[in-house]
Amino acid sequence: MWEEYSIGLLGVLLCGVIAFVALAIEKDDLHRLLLIDLVEIPSLGIVALLATDLAEALILPGLVVGIAELLALSQIYLVKEGLKEQPEGRLHIEVIEYADAPLILSLFLVVYGIILSGFTGGGVAGLGVVFYFMSRGYKEDLSLLEAAAGISWAIWIVSFFVFMFLPQYWLLAVFGAGGGILLKVIAKMSLVGTMWGRSHE
Amino acid sequence: MSSVGGTPLFLLEFGDIVMYFSPYTTSLFILALVFTCIVILSRPENQLDIIFGSDGYYTKETEVEELRFRRFMSIACGLACLGATVTGDVFDFTLFVSLVGITNVGIVAAVRSRHVQNAAFQYGIVALAGTVPLFGGAAIVAATNGTLSMIELSARTMSGVPLIAKALLTLGVMGEGMAPFYAAKAEMFRAPGAPYVIMCSLSSLLIFLRVVEVIITM
Repeated sequence: MWEEYSIGLLGVLLCGVIAFVALAIEKDDLHRLLLIDLVEIPSLGIVALLATDLAEALILPGLVVGIAELLALSQIYLVKEGLKEQPEGRLHIEVIEYADAPLILSLFLVVYGIILSGFTGGGVAGLGVVFYFMSRGYKEDLSLLEAAAGISWAIWIVSFFVFMFLPQYWLLAVFGAGGGILLKVIAKMSLVGTMWGRSHE
Repeated sequence: MSSVGGTPLFLLEFGDIVMYFSPYTTSLFILALVFTCIVILSRPENQLDIIFGSDGYYTKETEVEELRFRRFMSIACGLACLGATVTGDVFDFTLFVSLVGITNVGIVAAVRSRHVQNAAFQYGIVALAGTVPLFGGAAIVAATNGTLSMIELSARTMSGVPLIAKALLTLGVMGEGMAPFYAAKAEMFRAPGAPYVIMCSLSSLLIFLRVVEVIITM
């Protein structure tokens, strides 16, 4: 087992070294931003090599931190380069904009996501919502969606406190955490899909 | 548990993540707490530039919106420091440290000046690259010992943590707490808004001090 772990570690570290060399050679800021995402992956690889349920629990926060830093950096890049608005390069395809197909597809994804529940379900359902918004060119006030994301996050945290301090109500906490993270990921993903580039008006 | 930081006075358990308040971590915690309160309460100053060779001076105006964002980031940074100084879990520590890194980038990046934003972008790339050795170190600790709890690690007579894990952890913290070293980029620190920029330096100092304790305890 240790041999396999060592070989895997060597491989991941090799990937890390290659990515870091690329980062050192590259001079263009945008390309470095893309490469830094590549650098991020070996760090998740090292954690994944643990191959226990602990690793699963550690990858998620690692991934979230990486994505948060990447979003922050790309926002800085947008501001620093003075890129205000995405160019309106939308293709006007009738089937996507007016037909029922995107609605049915995203409805399917949302329903399937709710059945899956938890983080994965949130991802799938969020993808459905993103797809719907993108196909319809949604432009409205999103403060309600933001509030929903915040409240569901609070539910998630409260459920964790129930796990810690009132373990006898664990079933309630499981439902709270599952539902909370589902709502939160849906809301967050749809925010990413619609608010991108519009927050600095 | 007796470690370089002294015997813990108080243990705060969140499930299997145990915060411990030894004399060392408590003093770091209090320092972070006091400075967070200062950031919350203080009123930012306008920066004055003296016109050389005369009595005249001019003030740099800063938008309220910008200062509000920087205050929020400073408070978030203070909270992350509070966590990083007392947590008893190696991975938890790395997460708090990377949170410190993100908020430091945020404090600096809010300034509406191209030079400052360029510096913030470069620093952000260093901070993001720093997460690789940081998480890598924590993962190797878990792989070799089967636990991430510092209390359990310090209780073992034979330290099973390989040197490479400690080195990676230190390297990662250096990457995340890189902000003060960008002091060379003077624009970044000449940015107006008195107490907020200091939060970068203080948070880096705190996580550097803490990682020394973590490394020696393991």
